[in-house]
Amino acid sequence: MVKNKKAIIILIAIMAILPIFIKSKVVLNAIVLLLIFATLGEAWNIITGFAGQTSFGHAAYFGIGAYTSAVLYFHYEISPLIGMVLGAIIAAIIGVVTSYPTFRLKGHYFAIATLAIAEVIKQLFISWRYVEGATGISIPILPRSATFMERIIYLQFNEKVPWVYISLFLFAVVVFICDYLENSKMGYYLKAIRESHEAAESIGINTTNYKLYAMIVSSAISALAGSIYAQYILYIDPFMMFSLEVSMKIVLLTVLGGIGNIFGPIIGAAIFIPLSEFTRMKLGGSGTGIDLMIYGALIVLISVFQPKGIIGIVESIRNRSTKKKGGEGEVEALTRN
Amino acid sequence: MGQIIVNGILMGFIYSLVAIGLTLTWGTMGIPNFAHGDFLMLSMYLAFWAFELIGIDPLLMLPICILAIFILGVLTYKGIISRVIDGASLTALLATFGLGMFLKNLAQFLWTPNYRYINDALVSGKIIKLGNIVLGVPQIVAAVGSILLVVVIVYFMENTRTGKAIQATALNRNTALLMGINTSKIFAITFGITGACVGAAGALMSSFFPIYPTLGSLFSTLSLVIVALGGLGSIKGALYGGLIIGLTEAIGGYFLGTQFKYLLVFLIYLIVIQVRPKGLFGW
Amino acid sequence: MKSKLVVLLLILSLLFTTVITGCSSETSKDEGTPAETATEEGGTEEEAAADDGETIKIGAILPLTGSAAATGVKLQAAMEVAQEIINGEYPDLNMPLAKDAGLPNLGGKKIEIIFADHQGNPEMAKSEAERLIEEGVVALVGAYQSSCTKPASQTAEQYGIPFVCGSSSSAALTERGLEYFVRIAPNDDMESEMFYEFMLYLNENYDVDIKTVAVAYIDNEFGVHAKEMAEKWYNEVYKDKGFEYLGSVAYATDVTNVDTEVQQIKDMNPDAIFHASYIADITMFVNKYRDAGVTPKCVLNYCGGFQDTQFVVNLGKDSDYFAGGAAFTAAHLDTMPELKFINDLYREKTNSHFDGPALEEFASIMVVADAINQAGSLDSDAIMEVIRNTEFDAPYFASGAIRFNESGQNEISASYIVQIQDQEYQAVWPEDIATSTPWVPFPDWSERK
Repeated sequence: MVKNKKAIIILIAIMAILPIFIKSKVVLNAIVLLLIFATLGEAWNIITGFAGQTSFGHAAYFGIGAYTSAVLYFHYEISPLIGMVLGAIIAAIIGVVTSYPTFRLKGHYFAIATLAIAEVIKQLFISWRYVEGATGISIPILPRSATFMERIIYLQFNEKVPWVYISLFLFAVVVFICDYLENSKMGYYLKAIRESHEAAESIGINTTNYKLYAMIVSSAISALAGSIYAQYILYIDPFMMFSLEVSMKIVLLTVLGGIGNIFGPIIGAAIFIPLSEFTRMKLGGSGTGIDLMIYGALIVLISVFQPKGIIGIVESIRNRSTKKKGGEGEVEALTRN
Repeated sequence: MGQIIVNGILMGFIYSLVAIGLTLTWGTMGIPNFAHGDFLMLSMYLAFWAFELIGIDPLLMLPICILAIFILGVLTYKGIISRVIDGASLTALLATFGLGMFLKNLAQFLWTPNYRYINDALVSGKIIKLGNIVLGVPQIVAAVGSILLVVVIVYFMENTRTGKAIQATALNRNTALLMGINTSKIFAITFGITGACVGAAGALMSSFFPIYPTLGSLFSTLSLVIVALGGLGSIKGALYGGLIIGLTEAIGGYFLGTQFKYLLVFLIYLIVIQVRPKGLFGW
Repeated sequence: MKSKLVVLLLILSLLFTTVITGCSSETSKDEGTPAETATEEGGTEEEAAADDGETIKIGAILPLTGSAAATGVKLQAAMEVAQEIINGEYPDLNMPLAKDAGLPNLGGKKIEIIFADHQGNPEMAKSEAERLIEEGVVALVGAYQSSCTKPASQTAEQYGIPFVCGSSSSAALTERGLEYFVRIAPNDDMESEMFYEFMLYLNENYDVDIKTVAVAYIDNEFGVHAKEMAEKWYNEVYKDKGFEYLGSVAYATDVTNVDTEVQQIKDMNPDAIFHASYIADITMFVNKYRDAGVTPKCVLNYCGGFQDTQFVVNLGKDSDYFAGGAAFTAAHLDTMPELKFINDLYREKTNSHFDGPALEEFASIMVVADAINQAGSLDSDAIMEVIRNTEFDAPYFASGAIRFNESGQNEISASYIVQIQDQEYQAVWPEDIATSTPWVPFPDWSERK
């Protein structure tokens, strides 16, 4: 597992030097979004990849994080740095409150329940006047004369480079947390729950508690990513934050990269986000929908030809070269009836 | 009040009609098909163009729509699903999601994103009045179609070899395989039947519902909830699930504010699932 | 072993990111995809693609896919018409920039609109605004949905690039104090006042006695704002002029049926219904109104689905009597030759007449080009100076001119009341630009021809 750590450090180091070579705002923008979604993917991976509880509603925690920091800043001028932390706490509480009654549901029933919870929260936010309802919140922008210190406190930068480092910092912290979790006692318990709920209980694991711990970590991380996203875009509304599309994007890029593997989300995001940005920029101006057509077709092709995710390629090469089987094994997150 | 209940029931049947197809594939193969609503969209476009270009009424298009989407379902299985069904979990979902996105935008590419509407079909705009209660004829036709479809599917599942094979496969795929059932063929047929159901729904709905490329998304999500509410794989479940959702939406919306219509729909699912963790009729 | 492979893969995928995203900005500079389409269709500017470096780039951010794609594609066609008129030579067309090819004060340089798709997603609107600015556009136009116009125009403000918004109607847009933002369409604030004034006019001249008002609105930014403005004007002014506000009915954005909504409206039984709806929902509403026999005295629509010509195509004779605010009617084509000319160009592309939002987006390109031409430079502050302080000649609007006030709102409202009569949009109020008299009140549904 030391190797894992080495790989993570190399990866982060590479990402950290990138902004020195890349000056294009378009590419830097793609990198920021990529890192935010990779962070979300890591969060989702904890509850689904490790613990085997498929969530189709992670947009809820993402949105709650974004809304907490944005509302505190919008109404009371509280620094988003504080808002972020509060957002993570609130998201974790909501994660526990909503998950506790749903954790006894199996497979797809749980997945649809998470989807339903996210939709309920979305509808509530649309009608909630205090958070500006359907109108959404435009985060007040700092004057151009704002000092660097003010920009850090209120987390607003006109340049892209600080954003790359902020999102990279969050991603790095999250990856190390995930790596630690995966190899901790809790990580093994979660995997035991994933492989067989009954077996895990029979050896004395309190499955509900461990699933709740996983949910707390997962929702808190999602909320942190949400706050950063809100400060980056400077505008949020319930439709963009709580949408099923966001939830699905998180699921898809992690599945694409490799579910249950800490490198899965970043690999998935590194392919998924640029792909969607690229097809849109290159062909979106035509107004025919051809960009999303190609994008959809590519998703189908990838899943058909690499059904184990991109990480599957790595594994198969490794298996071939070392001639030994096993290792991570494949994740069976949804129990088939 | 009577009007609201009637509206809720009629809408409920339409939801059931769309959801019945989904429950079969989901229950049998364990794949929530996110392109389900987009199959519906294609069927509606088929009915629309037949009406617009050749003048065939959507109701007469019913068999053609059923057949066309049946074939599409089989092709989807052969071309895509069969290749991903044994991959990592959720890969099939990834594939159906991509397919849905492809189909939505294919429709925009081919037929522009305009909102289409068939306003002078055989049953369009006709109403029946029962005292104070107004019933739309197209909705009644769709409701009747939905009931007939349930009867046909239930009969098929209970009384034919293929139907029984589908049930056996749904219960345990490996055992079914050992018993000599060609599960791959069964899956293809199941996907085809799913398509046929949606095809029928599309033809029936096209005479009163606006037709546009993205209409599928909305029905996909609702169908997922209806199926999970009724119990995966349960046809009866999809029927009752649809009705419950339709009624919740109409009655709840009327008293609590129509903007909360869908909130109540999802809330009902969360409540029911507390009492019956495998849906109303799930096993 | 494994870690090496992972790192290798990551480096590859990152390279992939850099290469393809980098390519995208380079290639669109080299080939100019939008210019290609324009030249193919326009036919008047063969050289436009050849001397690419010489064109003046304007960025247009629109919902070209997703739920508002139907409108987005029309707005795109309208902007392309504006580009043709500016770049081509139309000696007989009495409109700014039409007579000469390109912008005369910049040595006949041509404009090139670069289109970008935001899919109705604010995040993408922001990304696209940044990309277009990086590609060197001198101004931005768009973005139709107010929720996307907000982040896109904030980005423009950050970089000091003028943003001329055509058809987004949320009043909040011009209340943000942005220096580089102006908007052409009348906002829902102005439309609400117009609706009440129109009803007063009907009561005085047609003896219809409209008293009670209800609002049906889609539960998003557009609808909520429209409702708030309808309530604001009622409370501040029109309560004292004999109107009574009965309440409002909100419905979700992705609505599959409007049975319950219509039932609620029926129970309220208002004389007038204000609708803030898109084309899919308004179509369902009209059908349900007919089935349920809802007959108010008038229905007034905010800028949205009603103005889409598909409304008449879809609903046929059921669309009669519905009214709303719009900046365009086909009935004006006979009296406004400039409008007829551009409408003919537009019909070649879309097979339908202009509609309000499309004409406003057309105007946004004309204003940007006119401002660049008058400024005589590509400096954004010089352009903004002109935009802020000039009254632009707009022969395609019934009002004839565009002038922005302090906050950036066009204060000469281009909008008037149109009503569908015999399946044609007719201007019915104010009287000086009316092409027909209003049809009031609604007849019973069974009495319609």
